[in-house]
Amino acid sequence: MIPRRFLPTAIAFALALPAYGYPEFQQFVKKNSGRGTNCAMCHLHPDGPEGLKPGQIGSLSTEEMNQLNQARAAFEPGQNVSNPILNAFGNSIIGKLGKTKFLQIRMHPEELPAALGDMSDLDHDGISDAQEYLAGTHPLDDSSGEPSRLLLINLRRYAFHLIMMVVATGAGLYGLNAILHWFDVLMSAARDKEEGNG
Amino acid sequence: MGSERMNAVGAFLRDRLPLSHFSYEEMVGKKLVPVHRMSWGYYFGGLVLFFFLVQLGTGVMLLFYYQPTVSDAHASVEYITKHVGGGALIRNLHAWASSCMIFCLFVHLLTTFAMKAFEKPREVTWVSGVILLMVTFGFGFTGYLLPWHQIAVNATKVGLQSIEEAGQYMPGALADFPRYVKELIQGEAAVGQATLSRFYALHVVILPLLTFATLGLHVLMVQLHGMSQGVDHPTGKTERFFPFFLLKDFSLWGLVFLAVITLALCLPFESLFAYPLFEPFDPLGSTPEGIKPEWYFFFLYYPLELLPFWVVMLAMNGGIVLLLAVPWVFRRTSRRTLSMIAAAAALYLVVMTLFGDAIHTFFKGVPG
Amino acid sequence: MVNSFFFVGLPYIALFSLVAGSLYRFKSERFSYSALSSQFLESKKLLWGSVPWHAGIMIVFVGHLIPFLLPGLWQSLTSQPAFVITVELLGVAAAFTALVGLVVLFVRRILSRHIQSVTTPVDLVVLALLIVQILIGIQTAAGHRWGSMWSVQTTTPYLWSVLTLQPDLNHVDSLPPTVKLHIAVAWIIIMLVPFSRLVHAFSLPIQYLWRAPQQVIWTNARRIRHIAPVIRKAEESRRLFLKGALGLGTAGGLLTVGVMDKLVRFFSGPNMTPEEQAALLQKRLERLEMTAEERDLELERMRNDYIFVANLKELSPNDGKYFIDYQMRPALAYRDTEGFPLLISAKCTHLGCTVASSVDASGRILCPCHISYFDLKTGMPQPGSPATKPLPLLGWALMDTQGNILVSQAPDGRREGEVPADKLDASMVYIAKRYEETV
Repeated sequence: MIPRRFLPTAIAFALALPAYGYPEFQQFVKKNSGRGTNCAMCHLHPDGPEGLKPGQIGSLSTEEMNQLNQARAAFEPGQNVSNPILNAFGNSIIGKLGKTKFLQIRMHPEELPAALGDMSDLDHDGISDAQEYLAGTHPLDDSSGEPSRLLLINLRRYAFHLIMMVVATGAGLYGLNAILHWFDVLMSAARDKEEGNG
Repeated sequence: MGSERMNAVGAFLRDRLPLSHFSYEEMVGKKLVPVHRMSWGYYFGGLVLFFFLVQLGTGVMLLFYYQPTVSDAHASVEYITKHVGGGALIRNLHAWASSCMIFCLFVHLLTTFAMKAFEKPREVTWVSGVILLMVTFGFGFTGYLLPWHQIAVNATKVGLQSIEEAGQYMPGALADFPRYVKELIQGEAAVGQATLSRFYALHVVILPLLTFATLGLHVLMVQLHGMSQGVDHPTGKTERFFPFFLLKDFSLWGLVFLAVITLALCLPFESLFAYPLFEPFDPLGSTPEGIKPEWYFFFLYYPLELLPFWVVMLAMNGGIVLLLAVPWVFRRTSRRTLSMIAAAAALYLVVMTLFGDAIHTFFKGVPG
Repeated sequence: MVNSFFFVGLPYIALFSLVAGSLYRFKSERFSYSALSSQFLESKKLLWGSVPWHAGIMIVFVGHLIPFLLPGLWQSLTSQPAFVITVELLGVAAAFTALVGLVVLFVRRILSRHIQSVTTPVDLVVLALLIVQILIGIQTAAGHRWGSMWSVQTTTPYLWSVLTLQPDLNHVDSLPPTVKLHIAVAWIIIMLVPFSRLVHAFSLPIQYLWRAPQQVIWTNARRIRHIAPVIRKAEESRRLFLKGALGLGTAGGLLTVGVMDKLVRFFSGPNMTPEEQAALLQKRLERLEMTAEERDLELERMRNDYIFVANLKELSPNDGKYFIDYQMRPALAYRDTEGFPLLISAKCTHLGCTVASSVDASGRILCPCHISYFDLKTGMPQPGSPATKPLPLLGWALMDTQGNILVSQAPDGRREGEVPADKLDASMVYIAKRYEETV
């Protein structure tokens, strides 16, 4: 944790630095979850903020550069941040915490989920953004999530469809079973007839 | 002398192709399925067929939206999963059913081997089955590339690279031959649009046609020859193929379909992997960690990573030849011995698939 | 006036007739309380008529009864679109089944000489009315869709108002004529119940479904001994077949509904708002542009021996300029302390991320992905970094404005040519193909 009195210096330092990918978070997530992740968890481009490609700083127009600087100065929490190199999750973190708090937490990436809370689920897959961060899955992709949790959530979500399918399968098996016995009866009848004739 | 030989050839053909059995009565009406402790093995061929049908149906549906170009392939797959109604389910079903199909295929291969179902006169059935196995692996390998995401392209690169590596063991002028083969497959110097077009054509036209032909022969042979006896000492108990075995088969299909569609509806196949692997392939960008082939190639992939290349290549080619020659090599082997060989092979497959990563970490210090 | 007759007057006449007529008939002619089975007169067509008719009408009847008895539960169920589609399709399928059965029964009554002798005019009227009623019902399902949803707000409260003796026309006033007709015919049929064989419905013959099979046959004692086991088998087989058909039919129906639901939604394409469409289109356009850009760069690198990087005076020693090298990798261009260009690959040797462009106080550049520091002069990674291989330095050529090469440097640092200090600032930096090919 950076002591409070150093904060302004730290912020000035952070602003003077090139854009960081804040790898502390990524390293923590990887260690915590064992899953490979990349910058795309919070940034627009998976290769991070630097470079010429879309979503990287080198590709920004003047207007977007202004947006970037505005977003970098969002020190207080609760602002509507739209940083052009961050994705919706990245922006929601800065918006919720404010840059000041974020830079503090940076040294303790394990505290981020508690700070974010469990309310926000940007991809509506039933697993909150904070949980997805801990599990190393993508908070903006509904097909990415801890498999066991996704399975349970979806089992509940599609309960109606599943029940209908179970009913259909049950009815089908019942029918097949009856047909099977039907054939059985038919054949024994045919056999009896043959024996009767013979 | 000449006519004797002709008669021998005729007898050989008559045994292998008993077309006199080509009637409803012989192939369906009077067909019997032996009942014994290995009877469950008879169901796996039908399951593979069922999953193939699922793949056919879902595959045709995916064709309606998929676009095989490097700029659009990933976007069109994303379009299917995120925007088209039921598209995620269809795609997920295609992914899950492909894995299930290959799993059942492994079991079918091992059980028919253990039951000596290749025994004379069923050699053609066995050989056509081995060809179907290769074709199915071909489906897996070509289909893996089509979504054009990071793991798809990079795993394909790794796979194709192994062909080129064979060059170092070739003498003189032949050394360049594997590289030539590789470029013939991928269509250009690196995996790109030409590769995608080729794999697409293979996956949706050529391999399905090949499957229809071979599968037709395979099933015809199974019906012409009837079920093999399966055990060394038959119990003497049998059940009729039609309707009893067939209806049981259908019941099993129903249960299996319920299981697979539940999986497809509730568990996205992609959630089992790290998300960076599914970003669009970017030739100028970075490569994410954890590039691996599909699990059903692990039995080949981990040895390839751990052992000298030539050992694996030799073993693989030897394995294919041996598989094709099984009906003649194991002609006189008892089913007991065959079962033990099959169990050993199953053990190898299970261990390599489940613990390959751990073995790799043990020997090389890093995960594979 | 017409409305009040059909929806208030008629219902009470019908209900009175139903209750009073049934009671009277039960008291006076108890044994007529049956369907007056004609099975032993003609049984083949009866099987193909009676079975589908009863199976179909029972499903339809239950479908009408539940929303009436349990409107709350029904409403929560019908909030599921899939349930509505399932129920409606099942209902229509059952209606068609019943219709087929009825038509067979009708034809049988008309064509069979035996049956005609036991057919009363009321039978024919009831049969015809039932056929008409089912046709109207199917038309309602097709023309005024999702009756399973709107019936809870309209016909259910109406029926309750009639039964609780507080008839309320408001619920049916605004209904379409087809639906009104359906209700009116229903009252007429109810009115006729006590006077026809429909009355057998009151004996609730459900046990038919599972009782041991019986069959009425023309017979004598000798024949019974001979034929009894055969008949038992035939009957058992018929029951099994019906059970099987019922099971498979239900499964097939549900499966068809499920599959059709998915297929229709799949092939009708996505349902997107204009914003979503625009966003999607933009995304695809971006991907196309990226591909086009890549192709453009590739072509440029294929055709040209030299690729322009920057004007030398634009380059700075501590903030690099990105460009793409001959192998299509990102690279950075700086100006070294002597004033010459310094070109280095920006593709991190660890996992291929793009290295950041600013140089820190100790002359290092940083890959932000996993924190690898590289010395700018040599490209060597700092010990302990995830990256272990150095970033390769690239060769370059300086040209004057006329395109003459003033000086060039190979990747290994060998320099050819001289450049006057005054011309240095005006020169332009290029990368050269010949250097790349040796890498």
